[in-house]
Amino acid sequence: MAIEDMAFLIPVLPALAFVLTFFLGKKLPNGGAIIPIIAIFTSFVISLMITLNLLQNPEQVVSQSYNWFAILNVGVLIDPLAAVMLSMVSFVSLLIHIYAVGYMSHDKAQPRYFAETALFTAAMLGVVLSDNILQFFICWELVGLCSYLLIGFWFEKPSAASAAKKAFLTTRVGDVMFLAGIILLFADIFRIFNGSIPEGVYVLRFDEIFTHIPEIAALNTQIFGFEVSHLTIITLLFFGGAVGKSGQFPLHVWLPDAMEGPTTVSALIHAATMVTAGVYLVARTFPMFLAAPYSLLVVAYLGAFTALFAATMGLVMNDIKRVLAFSTISQLGYMMLGLGMGAVIGVTAVGDSLFHLINHAFFKALLFLCAGSVIHAVGTQDIRQMGGVRKVMPITFATMLIASLALAGFGIPGTSIGVSGFFSKDPIIEAAYLFGESTENWVPYLFSIVAALLTSIYIFRLIFMTFTGKPRTNYGGHESPSVMTVPLMILGVLALVFGALTKTGFGKFLEETFANNFVNMDIHALAEIGKYHLASHGAGSEPLLILWMPVIVAIAGLLISYLIYGMRIIDMSSIVSRKNPIYKLLYNRYYQNAIFTQFLAVKVIYEGLALAGRAIDRGFDWTVYLIGHIFTEASDGLRLLQTGVVQNYATSVVTGVSLLIILVKLILEVF
Amino acid sequence: MAIPILSLIVLIPFLFAVLTLFTKTKEQARVSALFSSVLVLALSMFMYFNFDSTTSQMQFQEFAQWVPSLGINYQLGIDGISMPLVLLNAIVIPFLILFTWNDDKKQPNRFYALILATQGAVIGVFVALDFFLFYVFWELTLVPLFFMVSIWGGPAKHKASIKFFIYTHVGSLVMLLGIFGLYFAAWGQTGTPNMGIEHLLSQFQFIASGLSRDLIFVALLFGFLVKIPAFPFHSWLPDAYVEAPTAGSVLFVLLKIGGYGLFRVMLPILPFTPSMNLMIAIMAALGAVSILYGAFLALAQKDLKRMVAYSSVSHMGYVTLGAAGLVSLSVSGAMFQQFSHGLIMSIMFMACGVINNATGTRIINELGGLARKMPKLAVIMMLAFMASLGLPGLTGFIAEFLVLTFTYINQPTYVVIAILAIIITAAYHLWAMQRTMFGVYNEKFGALKDISASQTFSMAVIAILILYFGLNPSPVLDMMITNSEKLVSLMAVAGV
Amino acid sequence: MIPLFYYLALSAIIFSIGLFGFMTQRSGIRMLMCVELMLNAANINLVAFSSYNGDLTGQVFALYSIALAAAEAAIGFAILMSIYRVRDMIDLNKINVLRW
Repeated sequence: MAIEDMAFLIPVLPALAFVLTFFLGKKLPNGGAIIPIIAIFTSFVISLMITLNLLQNPEQVVSQSYNWFAILNVGVLIDPLAAVMLSMVSFVSLLIHIYAVGYMSHDKAQPRYFAETALFTAAMLGVVLSDNILQFFICWELVGLCSYLLIGFWFEKPSAASAAKKAFLTTRVGDVMFLAGIILLFADIFRIFNGSIPEGVYVLRFDEIFTHIPEIAALNTQIFGFEVSHLTIITLLFFGGAVGKSGQFPLHVWLPDAMEGPTTVSALIHAATMVTAGVYLVARTFPMFLAAPYSLLVVAYLGAFTALFAATMGLVMNDIKRVLAFSTISQLGYMMLGLGMGAVIGVTAVGDSLFHLINHAFFKALLFLCAGSVIHAVGTQDIRQMGGVRKVMPITFATMLIASLALAGFGIPGTSIGVSGFFSKDPIIEAAYLFGESTENWVPYLFSIVAALLTSIYIFRLIFMTFTGKPRTNYGGHESPSVMTVPLMILGVLALVFGALTKTGFGKFLEETFANNFVNMDIHALAEIGKYHLASHGAGSEPLLILWMPVIVAIAGLLISYLIYGMRIIDMSSIVSRKNPIYKLLYNRYYQNAIFTQFLAVKVIYEGLALAGRAIDRGFDWTVYLIGHIFTEASDGLRLLQTGVVQNYATSVVTGVSLLIILVKLILEVF
Repeated sequence: MAIPILSLIVLIPFLFAVLTLFTKTKEQARVSALFSSVLVLALSMFMYFNFDSTTSQMQFQEFAQWVPSLGINYQLGIDGISMPLVLLNAIVIPFLILFTWNDDKKQPNRFYALILATQGAVIGVFVALDFFLFYVFWELTLVPLFFMVSIWGGPAKHKASIKFFIYTHVGSLVMLLGIFGLYFAAWGQTGTPNMGIEHLLSQFQFIASGLSRDLIFVALLFGFLVKIPAFPFHSWLPDAYVEAPTAGSVLFVLLKIGGYGLFRVMLPILPFTPSMNLMIAIMAALGAVSILYGAFLALAQKDLKRMVAYSSVSHMGYVTLGAAGLVSLSVSGAMFQQFSHGLIMSIMFMACGVINNATGTRIINELGGLARKMPKLAVIMMLAFMASLGLPGLTGFIAEFLVLTFTYINQPTYVVIAILAIIITAAYHLWAMQRTMFGVYNEKFGALKDISASQTFSMAVIAILILYFGLNPSPVLDMMITNSEKLVSLMAVAGV
Repeated sequence: MIPLFYYLALSAIIFSIGLFGFMTQRSGIRMLMCVELMLNAANINLVAFSSYNGDLTGQVFALYSIALAAAEAAIGFAILMSIYRVRDMIDLNKINVLRW
């Protein structure tokens, strides 16, 4: 049996593990954790074998389609893009599952936990290997459901239940846009086929969609007087879905609250599953974005803005997990920016962005697991109450430091020395520079550089506050058991060297995605449809200063943090106070909670529209009763005719009969 | 066909209803009811497996003369439009009876007799091929439901039952006018009276006066819209659904005769209506507005059961909208929505009933943290809620996706309205879930017991069906597609 | 032979007397008697037309009608008797329990 035939097992095994763990977990040790671990391990092995096979024979894309119902299909598509994602997701998820055996060991609801995380992984793997947009959407929604269940894992905590709802609802806003995009796309393809789709053609398969790009791009609609290509609308709607799932501004509000779940769940959401789905969606449909005027620019600007915006909030958070949450949003912004840079560097952008995605998965999972380890030991999430944890938890400290270096992106340009974040973030920033060069628009570059500085500051603030100095409260700490530290070390090694090892081959491998027998298209022709001017030369030939710039700001950030939080030389109390309006704005997260939850959700939608609707509905009810009332009132009047006196009745009978006779007589005479 | 299987499916519930009426104890009543419903289930399964889903022709036809001078015949048949609905009724009723297995109801014999009578009447509507018979069954559904609400209902049961009865009865009478109009016009046309549904529908196009065609169409449409119910004729629904006992609410949910009428009667004559475009626009608009309006109203409710009732209005909007989509897959999506909605809402109302019985309240804000005490209920309810908010992998999504996608081709504006409602739909479901199941347990309810074995079993089976048909809709969707293709091809014949 | 007109005129006169009596009298018994008058007016018509047309059907109808009138009178008087027992009077204007 060829390994390709087992591809469908990649999501199916964890899904089966969900069922088994859910029903049998109680009877097994550790809540049946062994079932999902074995299942995901098998998925990982299959994914890895397919990836290795693809590395040698890039043209052997796994592509299988089966009829589902009507004109829709289910299928498996594993090209280089999907392959690296599959391997990463299953691998990181596997490590997190192993870690969770230790982390969740005291929780009574372990079977439910492991069942749900298994389903979560299955859904994400399903997203990655979908060969059509509908299946993609279905798994995408399942990811949302699992995040809902897992964020609300401790459902008895009102804050957790509320955060879960918020996460699901906010991403659902994006999902609806995504769905609208699919509907529009379907309708357009339907139109292109003139309403009769031939037997055996699955119009929502990615290859089928991509072959119709020029035709869809040619369809235009007037919106506010502007001619807008349907492809732009569709891609922006897709991007709306990605904004929701990947926590881009303004739908990022759910991500920080998602910390209400167990830390391992946060790690899953932030590293392996869920948030990367949005980036993957844009990467998957990249040819469409490339052929859609303005779409990539929107992606780029929003990504750059989110990178900076989230980083500013990361500066002032005191909850260790919240800092990491904002860091995730910021890094996802970089990935989106990277994809948006397809406007100048074409399909290379997918490689750059995905490279950052993979590296980010490693170091962010590591950061969260370390944070979990610290929380597990210290018993608080507030970094102001920590300090000096290094002495109690040396392994955790070492691995977290590696992850922080990777996040900040330390390395030496032009060599192979550097942590993984360095090799993946730099190309994105350089592409932004190239973008500035060719369009005279320096906003994305500026944003990304400032965000890099802030990233370095906030992550080392976290390190210094947590691990160095003296303990600020009495916490009894201890290093975590090896079931927790071993995954940390594995991830630490990867965060350290993965970038350096794969930096040359990765981008090239991913470019194969859009140049194989499944999807074979001319990138330049697509860019022409999208009116993007690809740069003639690639990144890497910028002035030396530009190449060094990201490293310089990273070091600067480290120094600033060290001065403020490590040495405590600079007194921050004048700045860090509620009186400072900027601090207040940041600390309150730009009042987005007030705007979105209090105002939009509660005031406008609930109190405004829904309660108004109730008033209107009363109106309808009253109308119905009014009609009934008219009849009862009328009969109240009419019944007075029934006097009960026989002679009155007789009178009316006689009168009636007489009138009738006269009438008949008259009619007979007239005609 | 040697066995008159359709007659059996219709008559068995009625026979057993009478039999159940004369039982003495609760035990006898429920066993008799269960036996009857299982028999019907077995017969309809047999029918389903012998059903040819590749043809849109009537199958298992039965014919006998009844009143020849008026052209009224005893004519039964089943096709892809009615089969899934018959199946839906046949499947849910046995589990409904199991669900109420241990309830302490007054007059159990009457209670179960009414359930069976409703089942017989509803299936009768689905399989009748003669307008007279159709109307008789149509009106017959009212009677048991009326008593169901007015005997076992909640505090405002009398008002609710009368409101429901009169409101829908007015709708039915207007529909009857439409039937008569069609009948006499066709009589005048052909010279012989005939009440056959297919005959009358095929004669519709030959009616000379455009105005009478319009009037007949509007009268029939009104009758069906009230029954569906579509905005703005929905106001009987919340009261009736809420005041009805749990079993009554489930029976209401299975009462899919309004939507059935759209497919059986309205769509075949739609292309021959002079003001067709206006009619399509009205149907699409009412559907879309129902979806959005129902969702907002559901969000505004404080009572869990009322919320579910309004969500029902919202979901039935997809049926009207999809029917107005006039693409074979949008029409099949609308049909599938009927099927799916029946399954999903059955569990939703069962869950409401369980919560009300256990805690004595349905006010969402008074509940909380029930998942800790009732984990089984929480799991099943979660699945039903997710299906209801249209989560992929469950039946609701298939229907909504088909309706929205394929209606968009002809009616883009209305679909945009409907899509907006999806977020609201998610909002009220999640809000209700959070307030009832999650959060801090309200200790005043004391030690609640989880749902009983019979309740778990019946809810779980329906839940599994929701999952099954959500992953593999073909078993019922294929026959719907076959029939909707025929319906839509009529449009092409009429040159639309 | 007496022309048909006379019979009809007689019938009309008797009917009018009956009607007048029915609408002016208060006593239940008198009203009942007036009803009988009107019925008999109709019977005269039936018999007259029957003999005029040489068809016996009308006379058969008249016989039926007489039998019916007898039965009706029996029931009517019985009702009036019971009313009298309860109320001590048979003024139908006052017996209007079924009004409104």
